[in-house]
Amino acid sequence: MGQVCLISGPPGCGKTTWALQKLQEHSGPCAYLRLEGEKEAGLEQGEDSGIDLAWLKDQVPRLEEPTADNTEDLKQANNSLTLIEVQRFHPPSQEGLKGFGEDVRSKLKALQLQPDQLLHFGRDHELPAKDTLEFSKLEAWHTSLLGCVWDPNSLSSFWFELVNGAYGDVYRAKGLMNLPDGRAFFCNWMVSQQSSQFLPLDITAPPQGRPDRTSELVVQGKALNPKGIQATINDCLLTDDVLAMQQQQPTSQG
Amino acid sequence: MNHAVISCLHANLAAVEAVLNDIDSQGIKTITCLGDLVGYGPQPNEVVELMRQREIPTCQGCWDEDIIDGLNACECSYPSQLAERRGHRAHHWTAAQLTEENKAFLAELPMTLRRDKLLFVHGSPNSQHEYLLPDMNAYSALERVETAGAETLFCGHTHQPYVRELRQGSIRVKVQQRDQDIPTEHELELPMRRIVNAGSVGEPRHGSSKATYVIHDDSTGEVTIREVDYDVVKTCEAIVDAGLPVVFAWRLSHGFEYAERAEDASHVCER
Repeated sequence: MGQVCLISGPPGCGKTTWALQKLQEHSGPCAYLRLEGEKEAGLEQGEDSGIDLAWLKDQVPRLEEPTADNTEDLKQANNSLTLIEVQRFHPPSQEGLKGFGEDVRSKLKALQLQPDQLLHFGRDHELPAKDTLEFSKLEAWHTSLLGCVWDPNSLSSFWFELVNGAYGDVYRAKGLMNLPDGRAFFCNWMVSQQSSQFLPLDITAPPQGRPDRTSELVVQGKALNPKGIQATINDCLLTDDVLAMQQQQPTSQG
Repeated sequence: MNHAVISCLHANLAAVEAVLNDIDSQGIKTITCLGDLVGYGPQPNEVVELMRQREIPTCQGCWDEDIIDGLNACECSYPSQLAERRGHRAHHWTAAQLTEENKAFLAELPMTLRRDKLLFVHGSPNSQHEYLLPDMNAYSALERVETAGAETLFCGHTHQPYVRELRQGSIRVKVQQRDQDIPTEHELELPMRRIVNAGSVGEPRHGSSKATYVIHDDSTGEVTIREVDYDVVKTCEAIVDAGLPVVFAWRLSHGFEYAERAEDASHVCER
């Protein structure tokens, strides 16, 4: 029988990083599911909008999404691994799935997924705990960047400003950003870490026009200034004309 | 005799007043300004008028040039689209605020000032837009000072103060003459040259929000980099009140060590 593991923890504690490591180590079939955790007073869940799944699928191309059609096959496969990630600010107060909200339980039931193991960051020693922070108040903001392409140096300046407090006290920021040369980067920052990660995706899009792959930004923190963030993003994104000009350059030189 | 060199005032009146007070309190009578009186900050007229009132010899900075000649002077010196768009907003705001009299004053500023073997420029002797960074190739740095006929070159523009001594410079030339089989070699030893960057009064970017300038002793050659506290909050509030990009206030309040400079720092606009 395949293994099904549910991991939970607060924003930025390393759930996706841990999941990537486990999936890369695993040689058999594997699947990944991210579920929204239940709302807690004063603590907003960060809208993931597929960032983690897109990043993991890029790094582990054989990764599947559990669906009603494939969960039985995954369950029957002896060497399969299904990881379920749930953002949750505090450890569950009850054992097993009872410790999770109705929303999580009903989605798992619909997919016929029954975790063999439930682990929470900061509580269970099987998981790293160094970046597990206690949150009492947290705002969340996200924006879709589908089809958007960044001026690379502007992205660098924007990210510096974002994580250094120009738009409020940002505790957590992650995004998938497209560049004009067809590359995309997973940008990842947590207040407990000294520096940001800028990890290139393995799959590049042809540098022709606007890419149609997942591109999102999620920000969590306090006293956030969404208008300011959005205004700066608008100044960083390339217009059709500039994008066409930049994408033409390598072709004409080559 | 001590003289003071200030640069990159950037329409920050509180910082300029604090620095001038610091200079006055030391009894220093000679002050030279390396330009960029305007740009980014909220009090362009006040700062220009203070320089005019004090009759401080000033050379033209890149912002002073652009505000007169228009943005075509050097759009290509922006490091990113974001910096360019923000720069344009600050440019248009400043151009709208400045009186015709103050614009005329900026237009007439010289590109360089010279006192004996001391040369004063905003960016480099080549251009107000060129950055002489502290880690610039030593040969290029020496070339900038030597070809300008200076012993000490005072510059600004990077917003990061430093003193760089260029020692043991030499130029080796190999001459092949028609009537000789073996070329002859000539080596010219160059005396020590110095580049002194005065930092920035109005928009420090050296890891601190304190205004910086330098004091130079003519007789001993000693250079002192001064850091001066001023009311940063007052200027930040004025930036927000003026409707300039709020991020200018945030940047000013931190003094981050990243300058909005072109990727090729030694780029010289040929427009």
